[in-house]
Amino acid sequence: MNHSVERLSKNQRIQHIILLISMIMLSLTGLALKFHNNAFSVWLIKLEGGIWVRGLIHRFFAIILILLSLYHLLWVTFTDEGHKELMAITPRLKDFSDFIKKIAYNLGLSNKQPEFDKYDYLQKLQYWGVVAGTVLMAITGLVLWFVNQSMAILPKWVIDVTTLIHGWDGVLIFIVLFLFHLYNVHLNPEVFPMSKTWIDGKIPVARLKHEHKLEYDKLIPDKENEKN
Amino acid sequence: MKKINSVAVHSVPDKKTKITVKLFGFILLAAAILSLPTRAVSQPPLYQKCLLCHGRPGFKKILPDGKVLELFVNKSELENSIHSKLHCTDCHADVMEIPHLKIPGKVNCYRCHYKDNPNGAMPANEFFQSVHGQMVTAGDPKAPRCQNCHGSHNIQKVNSPLSTVNHQNVAYTCGKCHKPQYDNYIQSIHGTALLDRHIKSAPTCTTCHGKHLILKPDNPESSIYPLNVINVCSKCHENKELIRKYNIPGGRISTYKESYHGIADEFGSVRVANCSSCHRAHLILPESNPRSSINKANLAKTCGKCHQNANINFTKGKIHVNYKSKSTGILYYIGMFFEILTVSTLTLLFIHILLDLFRRYKSGEIGGKNKRGE
Repeated sequence: MNHSVERLSKNQRIQHIILLISMIMLSLTGLALKFHNNAFSVWLIKLEGGIWVRGLIHRFFAIILILLSLYHLLWVTFTDEGHKELMAITPRLKDFSDFIKKIAYNLGLSNKQPEFDKYDYLQKLQYWGVVAGTVLMAITGLVLWFVNQSMAILPKWVIDVTTLIHGWDGVLIFIVLFLFHLYNVHLNPEVFPMSKTWIDGKIPVARLKHEHKLEYDKLIPDKENEKN
Repeated sequence: MKKINSVAVHSVPDKKTKITVKLFGFILLAAAILSLPTRAVSQPPLYQKCLLCHGRPGFKKILPDGKVLELFVNKSELENSIHSKLHCTDCHADVMEIPHLKIPGKVNCYRCHYKDNPNGAMPANEFFQSVHGQMVTAGDPKAPRCQNCHGSHNIQKVNSPLSTVNHQNVAYTCGKCHKPQYDNYIQSIHGTALLDRHIKSAPTCTTCHGKHLILKPDNPESSIYPLNVINVCSKCHENKELIRKYNIPGGRISTYKESYHGIADEFGSVRVANCSSCHRAHLILPESNPRSSINKANLAKTCGKCHQNANINFTKGKIHVNYKSKSTGILYYIGMFFEILTVSTLTLLFIHILLDLFRRYKSGEIGGKNKRGE
């Protein structure tokens, strides 16, 4: 069975690549500052050209991420494709019952796996986690970037809170993305060592049927979408 | 002379008459006896000749340009100094005759105070690398020499209360040239602690600037180079014993190091604020003092040195924030919230993943045999 169907369009794949580059660079430059006491961070900051250049790199990729986010917002709002994807990834009550079913299945309490649509509850959680995280990061990040302007209106303790949230939110996004990806698209026995969907945009039909049964049922009767 | 003569006598004993030998012997003995007293008398030194003139109070010389050279030397001062066993000419080595015709040159302490002097004089080699020593080397007539700080005829051991460079007195000595800094220092918490309250552990000029090896603040080797200031302050402000004994606020250094200023400083930024940027270098005053740079009323101005928009509103909140202390208030709880959120997210994700792997293992999916499509 070598049949595959398109899961991510070229547009989505490009968005994903820009997102991952900016996220990785922001993590490397940001987490090195947050955990500045360990030797790896010291090495990393030296590699990044010192504390000042580190900041420049961080802000450069922050701009890229913000622009990408704005583009993404327009894309999900005003394009048919984007809007359809937004609808597909919107959380529903079913996600909660899916979660319960999955846990029951994994614990051996039930023999029936939940059936997922295009995005399962973990993927939705991941997406919305990143959306919320990025919005928070952008707001707090801008306050800290323009600290001389922020100072004119904010007391120091608010800027301290902002710094704290920016740092911890970064850690949280990093952990969630790292673990989700590590599991879902790398260590997952179905795809180990790595799912190629992010490169070619395709998912094998068999895997689609296994992991996204409802999506499979929708797509497969429509033979046009089935590709080799 | 003596040695050469004796060699001459012993090398040719038989060729000379007994009288000649005796005569030579007598001359030798006389020479030896005459040469001895100069050494023996060096115990109480021969000030007397010099003090014939220099011991007269008010002895001075008016130079052609109208300047008055005070030439009186106080004998008791000399006798009580650390150099009481030296001759005048041991230091004033260019005086060969009395009365001397020329004005003697400046005394060069390095004649004795060089490294590894077998007589044990303290070395002062570092001095020549210092900002003061560099001026001396460059021939600047205003350059401070050893005697400007240590005194000349009245030099005492450093731990003597009479010493000009004693911990208590050195600020006054430095202040002779560094007047504005001295004026600030004596009003500062450090100056009043040392000079008014006689707290011996309180810092004076040399505590921060060093002694002989005083370098300019822009020299990276200097103890007060922006990146090194924190080390200087840490000597006392991280000293648990001093903090407890004198009730000094603790955690100043560790909280600074956790701030952006501290991190940037650690990674070599000289633009960023160090201790003295906010607390000042010499006029360091406690927060409660209205003149203090860190008094609430002055804080906006102090922050404003770098951050032009800092205002009184900005100064609300602590500057030295210890995120791990409950006294920090909201910051502590937000930090704790995120810590719990992060750890629980991590834990739940792990559990979820492990459960999934466990089920896959149980149902025989793991092992790659069931790989779908790829």
